[in-house]
Amino acid sequence: MTEKTKKGLARVEEIYEDRSKRAIELKEQGKKIIGYLCIYPVIEMLTALDMVPFRIFGDIKEPITKADACLPTVVCPFLRSSLDLGLKGRYNFLEGTVMSHACEVCEKTAHIWKTYIEQKYTFFIDVPHTVHEAAQEHLKGLLEDFRKTLEAFTGKDLSNDKLTKAIKLHNEQRKLVREIYELRKPNPPLISGVETIKLIKSLMSVPVEEGNDILKDVLAELKNRKNAPQKKSIRLLLWGSIIDDASLIEIIENADANLVMDDTCVGTRPYFDDVKLTADPLEGLAYHYLVDIKCPRTFRESEYGETSKNYMKDLSSRFSYLSDYARDWKVDGIILHSLRFCDIHGYEVPAIRDFLDSKGIKSIYLEPDYTESALGPLRTRIEAFIETLG
Amino acid sequence: MADEKKKKAISRPKAMYPLRARIDEVYQNSIKAVQAGKPTGWCMVNWWEADPIIMAMGIEAVYPENYGAVCAAKGVAQKYLERSDSEGFPSHMCGYARNTIGYTARMNDLGRIPEEAPMGGMPKPLFLLGSGALCDTRFKWFQALGRYLDVPMWTVEMPQPGVREEMMPGAHDRNIKFMVKELRGFIGFLERLFGKKLDWAKLEEISNDIIEMNRIWHETNELRKARPSPMHSRDFWTCMTGCLYPAGDLKVLIKLYNDLYIELKERVDKKIGAIENEKYRMTFAELPPWHSLNIFDTLAERGWNFVVESWAYHPPKPIDLSKVSDPLERIARFTYQWLSGYYQNAMKAKEWWGFFAYPYMDFVKDYQCDGALLHPLITCRTATNHLYLIQDRLMQTMKVPSMIAEGDIVDLKLFDAVDVLRRAETFEESMDHYKEIRRKEGFEW
Repeated sequence: MTEKTKKGLARVEEIYEDRSKRAIELKEQGKKIIGYLCIYPVIEMLTALDMVPFRIFGDIKEPITKADACLPTVVCPFLRSSLDLGLKGRYNFLEGTVMSHACEVCEKTAHIWKTYIEQKYTFFIDVPHTVHEAAQEHLKGLLEDFRKTLEAFTGKDLSNDKLTKAIKLHNEQRKLVREIYELRKPNPPLISGVETIKLIKSLMSVPVEEGNDILKDVLAELKNRKNAPQKKSIRLLLWGSIIDDASLIEIIENADANLVMDDTCVGTRPYFDDVKLTADPLEGLAYHYLVDIKCPRTFRESEYGETSKNYMKDLSSRFSYLSDYARDWKVDGIILHSLRFCDIHGYEVPAIRDFLDSKGIKSIYLEPDYTESALGPLRTRIEAFIETLG
Repeated sequence: MADEKKKKAISRPKAMYPLRARIDEVYQNSIKAVQAGKPTGWCMVNWWEADPIIMAMGIEAVYPENYGAVCAAKGVAQKYLERSDSEGFPSHMCGYARNTIGYTARMNDLGRIPEEAPMGGMPKPLFLLGSGALCDTRFKWFQALGRYLDVPMWTVEMPQPGVREEMMPGAHDRNIKFMVKELRGFIGFLERLFGKKLDWAKLEEISNDIIEMNRIWHETNELRKARPSPMHSRDFWTCMTGCLYPAGDLKVLIKLYNDLYIELKERVDKKIGAIENEKYRMTFAELPPWHSLNIFDTLAERGWNFVVESWAYHPPKPIDLSKVSDPLERIARFTYQWLSGYYQNAMKAKEWWGFFAYPYMDFVKDYQCDGALLHPLITCRTATNHLYLIQDRLMQTMKVPSMIAEGDIVDLKLFDAVDVLRRAETFEESMDHYKEIRRKEGFEW
């Protein structure tokens, strides 16, 4: 009997509590499970070859013991935790991994992972830093190489038709996720922040078709649900570096706030833009992963090669989607979250606060260190922030 | 005699002094030129990818990274670091970046260069040049300066080829093509910004001079493989600036680097070392504590000669670029060689971290090092990520031990020199032990 007997949010909870269980089951059925770190590995290419993309996460509840020997304490604690789990064998069911230059430490983690953890297949994508056309073209070339290694690994042809089909499946997932987020617009929202992160994390643990079925079930359940989240006095948006555990969101929602929107990579970032269907599917994929995904790891100008600059115009071009979210989801305040030692988000914080201030949106900045014990002290700050919004 | 001046433990090459003076002079001239109205840009060190273009356009380049080291060495960085913290930037970020952010915020308040700024300070730029090389900070930091400087910014791309994927057929040429395209974009940006055309003949001459200067600097460092080694890391760090931040009349710099080469060659021939009693040959990684460089003098008194260091600041291994007619392609290939030339053996050895970590394995073998002093920086991921891996690989493959001393390039509060010196004594026992192990296992040193 498989774990697929439960449906909707109950099924989500089940996957969230033990992500590897379903993956191991699929592996026993002959599926290749490929791990990926961060959201820049192009998972459509794995799906197209009938492999299961399985996102690698850390565990804030697990002390880091093994990774200390090969990745210093002054780097991203999420990546250290992920590597730690890898070194402890928690990802031994993976057939291989695809990693990328999502950020500098993610890049280095990929190399260390490859050095210390045996895998049948690995690929590293050196994602460029700018969104220029030359960078898009370059990324497309890297994806051509990715395609070649996947074909060699699986012994199968990765045709454009297969790729287009996979893109459509993932676009369907993106559309369904956006429908879920629409249900966070009412007051109270029909799905809580905790339920949302659990749902997204589950989607990143199962084949895309299975994820789409889960989403359809959840949507049906939410539209008829009797036990919707309680209405709170404040509606919040969460921005920042990775959050792959519901604990922080529980703290927010246990206070007098509904978390109704986010801009994180276990949230809207991988889902809020579709991959364009282009004659050469790699072109659409390169564009999506480089241009569409709004992570501060990528350098953007308000216009290509601009020779004059206005700070507020620059901020607007980089962050106006956030004020759009705040307007559309009727947000009262924004929690800015950057993990300690996350440079790409850390540098962004004063600018993003300038932008939010200019729009009259209040914000608070949190810098936890990816441990469960560090979350306690945040509770007081979050509660105080909520009070200031009331 | 009690009043006799104590002899310095590190014998510094005489040719280093005019080279250092020239570097300082060029810097001062650059400041004066900018103050007199010459266009200027603040640039990340870009490993010669953009420098020749900037120079050929007649723009003065100012390097805030280098200025961060200057502020640290002159003891004024702390003020700027604290200002950066108060601006809301996390305190764990790059010391150079925080120094620049604090400096710029203060310059903004005053409407002029702060009076305490060493070496005349950094004048306000007309553009910012970020770089995709090595770390995210190199463009995020400049982007963050937008709070204080309403000037445009360009980021030069640099693929990071130290992995197996970049050795796939066609990957090398694709990377070069990408870099060239981006350089053409950068030229267009500068031409629009300054309303003038690039002098291609000048670009040709400058890029060739840079290549030649680096060739001599490379050959100079090759001489350090000799026993005893004729130049200490302190002099490497002093002299590297001319190559890393090329400025002024490059032909003068070439002559000065050549003088240094000649002096070191003579030292090698006469078996004169940088320190009198070279007991331990050392490698250093990555960036040194600029505020506490005198610790190396104390270690030299114990017989520690630092013979090789910081691969990222070494010049590329020379390659023949004479048949490359397009100067932009020549520049791209030269810079790419810097990133890729040190790990050509890495893949054969199945060392998957081709750049950053691997060069030290070659260095330790080629320079016959007894130990490594590794300096993790609390505020720099780039200089720190790979150090534990280096420690492991050096021991596993060559039985060379490493000592880790945490610190920072700018923030002196984060470095404990006394502790390092205390641990050095014990570490010598470890180096002696492994020297014996290497001898038994048939290593050459």
